[in-house]
Amino acid sequence: MKRNLVFLLILALLVAMIGGCSKPATQDETVVIYQNKVEIHEQLTAFAAAYKEATGKEVIVKTSGGDSPYAEALRAEFQSDRQPDIFVIEGMGGYNTWESKLQPYEGDEWIDLTTLEFIVDGKVIGFPVAVEAWGMAYNKDLLEQAGVDPSTLTSQEAYRAAFEKIDGMKDELGISSVVAMAAGPDMRWVTGLHNFNGYLSAGLPYGDTTVLDKLNNGEADMQRLTEYADWVELLFEYADRTVLLTGNYDSQVSQFGTGKAVFIHQGNWIDPWLQSNNVTFPMAFAPHASVKGTHDKIFIGAPSFYVINNESKNQEAARNFLNFMATDPAGHNYMVTEANMVPAFTNVTLTPTAPLSANVTEWLAKDLKYTWLQNDMPDGFGMGTIAPIYEAFAKGDIDKAQFIEQLAAKIEEIK
Amino acid sequence: MNKRIKDNMVFWLFLTPALFSFLVVVIIPFFMGLYYSMTDWTAVAGLQPNWVGFENYKAMFSNLAFRYSFLRTFLFSIISVISINLIALFFAFLVTREIRFRNFYRAGFFIPNLIGGLVLGYIWQFIFKEVVPAIGGMLGISYIENLLLLADPNLTLFGLIMAFTWQYAGYIMMIYVAALLNVPQELLEASDIDGANFWQKLRNITIPMIAQAFTITSFLTLVNSFKQYDIIVALTSGGPTDIYKGQVVNSTELLAVHIYNIAFKYNRMAEGQARAIVFFLVLSVVSIAQVYYNKQKEIEM
Repeated sequence: MKRNLVFLLILALLVAMIGGCSKPATQDETVVIYQNKVEIHEQLTAFAAAYKEATGKEVIVKTSGGDSPYAEALRAEFQSDRQPDIFVIEGMGGYNTWESKLQPYEGDEWIDLTTLEFIVDGKVIGFPVAVEAWGMAYNKDLLEQAGVDPSTLTSQEAYRAAFEKIDGMKDELGISSVVAMAAGPDMRWVTGLHNFNGYLSAGLPYGDTTVLDKLNNGEADMQRLTEYADWVELLFEYADRTVLLTGNYDSQVSQFGTGKAVFIHQGNWIDPWLQSNNVTFPMAFAPHASVKGTHDKIFIGAPSFYVINNESKNQEAARNFLNFMATDPAGHNYMVTEANMVPAFTNVTLTPTAPLSANVTEWLAKDLKYTWLQNDMPDGFGMGTIAPIYEAFAKGDIDKAQFIEQLAAKIEEIK
Repeated sequence: MNKRIKDNMVFWLFLTPALFSFLVVVIIPFFMGLYYSMTDWTAVAGLQPNWVGFENYKAMFSNLAFRYSFLRTFLFSIISVISINLIALFFAFLVTREIRFRNFYRAGFFIPNLIGGLVLGYIWQFIFKEVVPAIGGMLGISYIENLLLLADPNLTLFGLIMAFTWQYAGYIMMIYVAALLNVPQELLEASDIDGANFWQKLRNITIPMIAQAFTITSFLTLVNSFKQYDIIVALTSGGPTDIYKGQVVNSTELLAVHIYNIAFKYNRMAEGQARAIVFFLVLSVVSIAQVYYNKQKEIEM
């Protein structure tokens, strides 16, 4: 009798273990959005609650943070019993990974309201979450004090002249270096992605991918690369050595925020940092002069896109939610006022209060934008493969000729 | 039912739950990993992996960054094992002597081990970036003041070893303390009477008597330094760069970090898996050899 009992118990245990793997019934009406911006989780959840009140449809916001942890967590999410209906991709890299899971948008209202949607082969794949931009952000007060007119900063020659002039006034301005630039191990996205994007798109019409296409075929544009190396050299030459080689995000932004540098090689995402540290001086963006010639645009794009899972049973509800966000005043209020994002939609009349974000809306309104192509390179190429070369160049381990040669060699390896 | 069969059945019955879980969480994933390392798997749901044979393994050995990472890992492990064990042994001797507050010291040396690797990495990053130059400034030595410790490949490796030693020596010390307390006092007293000095006692009595502890501690330190990941990520994130055979490489991207980067940053899961398997094999061989060697040195009372 006892033995039978033991048998039964073990049997029950095994059944329970195997049974645990089977899928429970999915809730049908609820839309699950799985997104990667930790900083807007609460705001988005609040907006989803408002959406439920307005329409009666429930939207659940799930978040996992950072950039690479999200990609991993998303894989796990897809292996689980409840796939998200809306998830986030970041450009072509994400598209290539998730291609088999994506449902294109068709005829959605928001498509006509933006120029930054993610399109592949004529199909609209991604809803732009927000607009971000970077250029050479400058401290208006210091620049004025140095007698440099920011509107003249449009070419490498102009930058060199301005940098030389400012460098000579270091003590007067109280700065430790002209540019707050970082190329150390913690800051590889600044060099390998943002700075390198200048090589890919600066001076070209919006949407022009010729240089990128060549890169993805393992071909380097030597002329552009040589001109671009001058720009990198110029930035490194007038940067603070400590911040350049071992600085992290905090040390780079605080060099600028405390007025120890006139320029910073960063984007409007530094606004929250500056605001929480009570930085109040006026600032704006100037173009990057990544290659020869005149430049009058900054790099504007959408860092991430909401995409629809093609296996979702709630595609209609998911698309309605995104449309509501783009068209309803409540959605605008959420994007601009609550989440402090620069909206990608032309029908939004609210403007952000943060200085750099407000400046981005001006550039966007004038449609002065260079393309973001840094996310369309092969996975890991920007931060993993080429960024260390920048660091070696910054340290002086290699010279400019070797820098060009090594970059070209890495591009050729892509083939 | 005869007794033998019945005993056998009960034996297997009791073993089943443990065996089942071991199979499910260790054995099966291991062989799945072996399979995936020979495919072009990228971990995207719905994509069937294609069989590529030993391509991933071939690619690995011709990869300079991987070879460099291998060398650096060995270097890091060897120096770490030595420094951790020496310092731990030294501490263990200190805290087993008749000194005041020895329990306080024991706890004090042990506490860094309770701090997570990530937190510890950031603390040491702060020390190397802010405190060291500040000390240099106070002493008026401009070399130290302007020293960018985390921009020099070799100094950074030593910095890592220092941080790791600081974290781990206290734990290893505890093992040595336990072993030292088990050394028979009568032997030490007898040798005292015979006029043996400290070094003679150490070499002929203490060291042989704690040989068992050496087996454990060298195993633990070896395996843990080989697998070191979190301190590196927090302290150096793989940098700074070094030049190896004309190529720019990441000087502290040790194997565990390297494998993670290949798998998740480059999204080459199968290649990362192949490297992880080689990593596993090398680590197994090294640690088995070490345990075998140390075992021979042990003596039975």
